[in-house]
Amino acid sequence: MAQTSLSHPAAPVSLEAAPALPTKRDALLSLGARCSLPVIVLLAVGFVAPLIAIFAYSFAKPRTFEVFRSFTLVNYAEIFNVNNTVWLSFLWSLGFAFATCALLAVIAYPIAYGLNRVFGKWSSLVSILFVFPLFVSENVRLYGWVLFFIKNGVLDGTLKMLGFEGGPQVLYQPPMILAGMLYVYLPFMLFPMTLGLAMVPRDLIDAARDLGANRWQIWREVELPLAMPGILIGMLLTFVLGIGAVAEAKILGGQSVIVISHDIFIGALTLAVFSRLDLDRLLGRR
Amino acid sequence: MTISRRSVLKGMAAGGLAMAGGPFAMTGSAFAAREKELNILCWEGYNSAQVLDPFRKKTGATVKAESLTNDPTMINRLRAGEINVWDLINVNNPWARKVMWPEKLIKPLPKDEFEPFFAKMLPMFKWPYKWAMSDDGKELLGSIQRFGPYSFVVNTKKIDRKTAETTGWDLFNDPKLSGKYGILESDDWNVFNIFLVAGIDPFKVHTPEELAKFEETAKKVFKGAKLIGDIAAMNQALVSGEIDLHLTGGTYSVSAARADGYPELRGITPLKGPLPGGKGGVSWIEVTSTVNNPNPTPLAVEFLKYVQAPDIAHTVAFAEGTFNPVAQMGNPDCFKLFTKKELEAIQWDSLDEEMDRSVEYDIVPDYDKALDIMNAAKRVRG
Repeated sequence: MAQTSLSHPAAPVSLEAAPALPTKRDALLSLGARCSLPVIVLLAVGFVAPLIAIFAYSFAKPRTFEVFRSFTLVNYAEIFNVNNTVWLSFLWSLGFAFATCALLAVIAYPIAYGLNRVFGKWSSLVSILFVFPLFVSENVRLYGWVLFFIKNGVLDGTLKMLGFEGGPQVLYQPPMILAGMLYVYLPFMLFPMTLGLAMVPRDLIDAARDLGANRWQIWREVELPLAMPGILIGMLLTFVLGIGAVAEAKILGGQSVIVISHDIFIGALTLAVFSRLDLDRLLGRR
Repeated sequence: MTISRRSVLKGMAAGGLAMAGGPFAMTGSAFAAREKELNILCWEGYNSAQVLDPFRKKTGATVKAESLTNDPTMINRLRAGEINVWDLINVNNPWARKVMWPEKLIKPLPKDEFEPFFAKMLPMFKWPYKWAMSDDGKELLGSIQRFGPYSFVVNTKKIDRKTAETTGWDLFNDPKLSGKYGILESDDWNVFNIFLVAGIDPFKVHTPEELAKFEETAKKVFKGAKLIGDIAAMNQALVSGEIDLHLTGGTYSVSAARADGYPELRGITPLKGPLPGGKGGVSWIEVTSTVNNPNPTPLAVEFLKYVQAPDIAHTVAFAEGTFNPVAQMGNPDCFKLFTKKELEAIQWDSLDEEMDRSVEYDIVPDYDKALDIMNAAKRVRG
């Protein structure tokens, strides 16, 4: 090094050396990749690793923890065995998820519309009322429902006290599971939908009305397409949450039906849906 | 403690290590001496602060306990390499001598140090107590504490005790009771009980005809159940009147509700049934063994001795969640700690006769097959 600085002027050496280093580093990892490294590591540990572990379990000997140490396809053979009744659980889960999604779209739309256009200064309060239950654990809320609807519970007991026949016996039946899912997942549909509707410019609706469109046409051709990103995100969230829902069936349904709550299935489904979904386009950024 | 960048990084590193130390990263590592460390794999109760805190205080040790509610799962975790992690394992009676000892998952206890404890236990656990010993009777494989009869639970205001005991498992074959009972979810016990409802001894190899009868009974029993759930759900449904009785249960599941002021809820042991000797019920006895950890801690044996003390045994009996009789009640110093209300909660009045009418928990040789049939039957109930 000392010899180099003697034989050459110092400045050109440093000029040559300086750009060379970053180039070498750039080849390894771009700036963007380096910045995203913490998130990538977090996702790898927190999201990908558990999925890999679950996937590996599917090849482990049944009823053992011999992950990565045994390999068998018995579990898959079992799932596709026609005599196995697992398909029933898949069917129930899918049915509940579709029903939750469809019903919530219908239920949440008027509320979202109200929050944007009707409730005015009360909108914040109404929003808070919908958000507030999220601060309480889902299981606690569902057990609250059980106490409300159970025989001699809050509803039944109060009605009997007032001299009526008593409340309806609704617990431990499939419709109650659906009711629980609608209740639990309502905010996940409502808020994306509210955002979606908020993105519809008022001017466009006024313009459509001025040009002679009736209410149906305004809704069908202006409001709905422009609010669609929010509606779709809401539906996606509720569907993915709904298909993995298990607490409602256990607590409110008393396992009157056995649902599938299989993480790898949900993971695969989420990946499949998200790979086809362009959030930027949905959100109208391009 | 002040939070600095360094302490945060240290914490993150520790968290990372803890995450890496799951079931896959526990093989073959050489630990430092573990004089002040104890890890217990147990049924709930032994993991409660009431039981562990005095021991932590006494020894200054770091004691960790994980509670599971399924014996085969706990044993499978040892088989999967967690033998390096756990020091004590607390499971039902047959596993120590029939499975864990032959597979070298546990190691024997010093007989001379533990025999005096057995001398003070209830007479049914008289030395050498079968389930605590190895098959050849030479080794002591575990210590005994909680036990109880476990068949089904009824609300005696709806079905009186005598009727329930006389009718036995046929209650669940009675079409009139369809929709009026629940099922306490528990894989192994549900399998035992459905065999018993079908009039078949569960603890033997079954013929195809018997398995067909089992399947038919499982479908019927699950179809007729108002709900399937955990202990809390069963007790709540019994108290509210949603159900009159539930399959799979006993002192262990109903004692908390009895202690809460519902003495009409009662664990029932049928007078007769398809078990050897015409017995009708099944009982369980927990055996706590020292895991064959390559890097053992002296605290494992010390903990087993600690829970034998009258006051600690009483605490174990009434640890949070579930209340149970303990073998140490044979010691008058321990027995006198139990109040009248506590004795009522654990059905002390009928404990002896119920244990007499029960066979002890055992391994079903064709359990996996039966469990698959049962799970399939459960799914078609909807």
